Amino acid sequence: MDKAVIQALARAAGLDKALADFPDDVYTAAAQAMDNAGAVKVPTDPTAEPWPPMKAGEGL
Amino acid sequence: MTEPHWLTASEASKAFAAKKLSPVELVQALLTRTEALDPKLNAYIRLDAEGALDAAGAAEKEIAQGRIRGPLHGVPVGVKDIIDVATLPTTCHSHILVDNVAKADAVVIQKLRQAGAIVMGKLSTHEFALGGPSFDLPFPPARNPWNPDHHPGGSSSGSGAGVAAGLFPVALGSDTGGSVRNPASQCGIVGLKPTYGLVSRRGVFPLSFTLDHVGPLTRTVADNALMLDAIAGHDPADPGSAATQSRHFGRMLDRGVRDLRIGFVRHFHETDMPAHPEVTAGLEDVARVLQAEGAEVRTVHLPTLNEFSGINRVILCSEAWSIHAPWLREHPEKYGELCRRRLLPGAFMTAGDYVGAQRRRLELIASVEDALRDFDILLCASSMDPSSRMDDPAETARTYPRQARSPFNVTGHPALAMMAGLSSGGLPISVQFVGRYFDDATVLRVAAAYERATPWHTKRPPIG
Repeated sequence: MDKAVIQALARAAGLDKALADFPDDVYTAAAQAMDNAGAVKVPTDPTAEPWPPMKAGEGL
Repeated sequence: MTEPHWLTASEASKAFAAKKLSPVELVQALLTRTEALDPKLNAYIRLDAEGALDAAGAAEKEIAQGRIRGPLHGVPVGVKDIIDVATLPTTCHSHILVDNVAKADAVVIQKLRQAGAIVMGKLSTHEFALGGPSFDLPFPPARNPWNPDHHPGGSSSGSGAGVAAGLFPVALGSDTGGSVRNPASQCGIVGLKPTYGLVSRRGVFPLSFTLDHVGPLTRTVADNALMLDAIAGHDPADPGSAATQSRHFGRMLDRGVRDLRIGFVRHFHETDMPAHPEVTAGLEDVARVLQAEGAEVRTVHLPTLNEFSGINRVILCSEAWSIHAPWLREHPEKYGELCRRRLLPGAFMTAGDYVGAQRRRLELIASVEDALRDFDILLCASSMDPSSRMDDPAETARTYPRQARSPFNVTGHPALAMMAGLSSGGLPISVQFVGRYFDDATVLRVAAAYERATPWHTKRPPIG
C-alpha cells in the first residue's frame, strides 16, 4: 500500500501521534492488516451468516 | 508426605482433612519457596503475602471446625494479572494500567473464594495478554522453570511458570489465541481452555470478546477438573455466558479411553506447519499410548492452520482495536513495542474484513463439528517447537505463531494442552486434546488416561 494512503488512513483512525512517533510501526501494521485480511476466504454464498449470530433476549 | 510445594490441590485437601498439614503451613512454605525462586522466574507481579496468610488462617479455622467447603478449601491459587482481585492492582503488565486498582473480584475469583481457595497474588502476563515477552514494560517477563533462559510461553506466563515451579498448585489464565495452553505446553503442565461461554469473563480485562476464554493451569488433570468445577457456571451479566448446568467435570477421569474414537489431526504438524522432529515423534507416541489403552485412533482432516490463524488474527485485531483505540491515539508511547505493533493492525481492518472473517468462521466451526460427529476427541499438536530462548527475539518471533491452538478459539471447542515428553534439550513438549461443545469432561477423561499411562506428570523442573 502506498505510504500516502497509509498516512491518510492512519490520520482518519486518529493515529497522528503514532504516525509521528512510531511511523515504522504504523506502516508495518497497515501491511499486516492487508496480509491478514487478504488471507481470509470470505464465503461466496451471499446468505452465509457471521458467527456469533444475533440472538434476541439471550444473555441479557 | 510429598514436600508441601509439590502437593497437588487434591493432595493438599486430603492433608488438611487428615491434619497432616494446615493451609497456613502450606502458604508459608510457598512464600518461602517464592522468596527463593521468583527472583529467577518473575512469575509474580504482585505477591499478596498478607492477604494470603489471612485467608489461610480463616480457612484453617473453618476446616478445624469441620466446615469444609470442598476440595479447594485452603488451596492457594495464582491469578493472571488481567483478572480483577478486589483491592489489588490489575495492571495487565502495562504502564497504561499500572495504577489501576480493582474495586471488586472478577466472577471467577468470587467463585474460587466461595470454594475456599486462597489468592496468593497477581501473575506476569504478556502486555494486555498480547505483547510479549517484552523488556520495556513496568515488570520483567516471566521465565521458564525448566530453563530460565527460555520463554515460559504466554500470555499466561506467570501462571505457567509458577505452577510448574511449585510456587502454587493451581492458577488462572486467559486464552484468546492459546494463552492458557501455550504456557502449559512450554512449562510441562496441564492447561484447559474450556468451552466458550462455560466460564464467566466478567472482571477480566478483554482482549477479543468473541475469542476470550478463562481457564485453569494445574500440574495434574484431576486438579484441572476441580478448578473447572469451581469456576464454571452461567453468569447472566456476561453476554457470552452459556446457560448450562455443567458440573463434576472430573466424573469420568477413571474411565479410561476404551472404545473412544480419537481423530488425529496430523496435517496440522506434518504439512501445515511442519513441527520439530521431537514434537512429531512425541505426538505419534501419544497416539500409540492411547491406542494401547483401547482407543480407536484414525487420521482426520480439518481446514488448514493458515485458514484458522488468519481468521483468528483478523477478529482479534479488529476487536482489540475497538478496546485500545483511545489509548493508542492518545498514548501510543505507553505501550511496549511488541504490544503496540500487534494492536495497530486493527486500525487498518475494515468492517468488511471483520464481518467476512466472522462469516468464514461459521464455516470453520461447521467443519470441526462435522469431524466431532465421527470422533469423540481430536488429538493434535499444541506447540510445534520447544520454547525459544528469551535472548533470541528472532527465534521467539519465528516459533511463537507455530502452534495449533488458535483454531479452537475460533470455534470455541474445549481444548486441553499437557506435557507429552521432554526434548533432548530438556524442555517440555506437548499434546492437545479437543472435544465437543460442553463436553469438557471427556477432554479431561482422555487427558487423565494419558496422564496415568505416562510418567510426564511426575517430572519436575531442575530449579530447586
